[in-house]
Amino acid sequence: MAITLDTPHAPSPRLPAVRWGIAGTGLTALLLAPMVLDGYYLHALIIAMIFLLPAHGLNLILGYTGMLSLAQGVFFGIGAYASALLSTHFGTPFVLNLFAAAAIAALIALPLGIPALRLRSTSFVMCTLGFVVIAQMVAKNWVELTRGDMGLSGVARPKLGFGDSVIAITQIPQYFYLILAVALLATLAFVLLIKSPAGRCMVAIRDNETLAESLGIPTWSYKLIVFMLSAAFAGLGGSLYAHYETVVSPLVFQMYYSNTILIIVLGGGLGRVPGAIIGSFLFVAVTEALRVTPELRMILYGFVLLVLVFVFPQGLAPLFERITQWLSRIGGEQEKSQ
Amino acid sequence: MGNFIFEQIVNGVITGSTYALIAAGMTMIFGVLRAINFAHGEYYMLGTFAAWYAISKLEVNYVVAIVLGVAIAALIAATIGRFVMQRLVGAPFQAGVLATIGVSLILQNAVILAFGGGYKVFEGGWIEPVEILGLGMAQQRIVLVVSAVVIFAGLEWMVRKTRMGKSIRAVSQNIECCQVNGIDVESVVRRTFLLGTALAALSGVLTAPVNVSVYGGMGEAITLKTFAVIVMGGMGNVRGTLYAGLLLGVVEALVSGLIGLQYRDSVGFIALLLMLMLRPHGLFTQKARF
Repeated sequence: MAITLDTPHAPSPRLPAVRWGIAGTGLTALLLAPMVLDGYYLHALIIAMIFLLPAHGLNLILGYTGMLSLAQGVFFGIGAYASALLSTHFGTPFVLNLFAAAAIAALIALPLGIPALRLRSTSFVMCTLGFVVIAQMVAKNWVELTRGDMGLSGVARPKLGFGDSVIAITQIPQYFYLILAVALLATLAFVLLIKSPAGRCMVAIRDNETLAESLGIPTWSYKLIVFMLSAAFAGLGGSLYAHYETVVSPLVFQMYYSNTILIIVLGGGLGRVPGAIIGSFLFVAVTEALRVTPELRMILYGFVLLVLVFVFPQGLAPLFERITQWLSRIGGEQEKSQ
Repeated sequence: MGNFIFEQIVNGVITGSTYALIAAGMTMIFGVLRAINFAHGEYYMLGTFAAWYAISKLEVNYVVAIVLGVAIAALIAATIGRFVMQRLVGAPFQAGVLATIGVSLILQNAVILAFGGGYKVFEGGWIEPVEILGLGMAQQRIVLVVSAVVIFAGLEWMVRKTRMGKSIRAVSQNIECCQVNGIDVESVVRRTFLLGTALAALSGVLTAPVNVSVYGGMGEAITLKTFAVIVMGGMGNVRGTLYAGLLLGVVEALVSGLIGLQYRDSVGFIALLLMLMLRPHGLFTQKARF
């Protein structure tokens, strides 16, 4: 499957309006969800939104810079451990932990990225897979810090606000709104990043690194910064996960997480913001809501990967795009007939 | 102390010959397909599982179990070779990575779903101790080393002398020229894949009596170690793989004996990372080919 994508062109002037309409409808549906759905389905949506954050990170590094990293699960786990350690040892507030987790994940990504990013294609993939195994080993064997297989339990539930107006987040609907807010802000930050000149430089690196370099783009620094940013997104997700589950164990470093993140991004559609969003709701929320067992889910993901490689190299996003274009055309025709 | 180190080295050679056997298949597949098979360890697991099933459920003896284990793994590999691997000829590298990760997820979890995720005990094999060079060890370990030597000699002969070996070498050098000259590239890929995965399955069945435990996730760790071996040996270099496998086995055994068992598995990764950064063309190859 080719990583290089065609630049999508907008045939109808009403397309942006339709897109905003769909985004608005989706957001409204999410905002109203706690009034309609019961706890378990909200839990499924929460997990999907948590996975959306590392998926944005992978989308950034794979979709916009063209590097296939399996290490997103590692930074997710590092974020979870960082939050859990800060919360259990120092009792730091949730908001601080959230940013600290992102910062720590990005800082750990720096020494890992400097050697790894010198590698290309398959070597880079093997190297990032090596990080997963090393992370598993550290989490299991550095018992003084991580308490080994027992993991860290009793991560504090989030509290928001200052002084007398502190809200303790304990119930599923409260969690839902909190995580929705974080996911929205992160998505917004992601969109701003890729629309910025820096985002266009990343696309240039993905499409032709040599050409990008010849145009004066510092490709090496860009790749390193993108690797760190993708780790920061994953760290945010890990922090949310730790505060939501309140337990962190070496299981967060299983390949399961990296694979799920990979499926979200590739299945949704690489290098497209709606892709990761559709992907996380479709591949995480739906399977979680249907209570598919992890094994069956992994088999399903395996088939999805094969279908993606051989049948749908661009994921579901082009399908979504076609639907929005169709909707915008219908709207246009109605206007003419009036 | 000297005796202890000697013992560790002998153990390392035995483990290393298994690594070499598995990695030989992966390196040949890389040679013809230019794709890393992320599912390679799963065929090792499939062979072991099929043999375990044959012994504990069908109650056959170990020799029959070896044949059955390899045959069943090869049957599954033939199907996957036909529908997945063959289509990767000339595909970009991401396609190879993602498709083989997909295959790995399907095989591993299908086995866990069918037989449960717990550890199973592998009964059978030749575990009577014999004394060689002052060391007592299970016969199975001797069988392992001997079969590795025989198989590598066979592979070397096949790659150099036979028609199939020549076509494998030709495909790994230039796919377009092969197509122009009427070599059926897809059939070469299929056959190489079948041979490579059968070797992985065979080494799984042969090591099972030594490792004893059998579980669905066992292939993952093997896949990762195999990466280290094929990179050390020089990707696509069969003879280099033998040396690299032995080297990894010995270093692992020394590390686990002298530093601690829990550090054993990190040797492969440190080796992999160092190799990729410093000598990506391998220890035993003069010039980078890939």
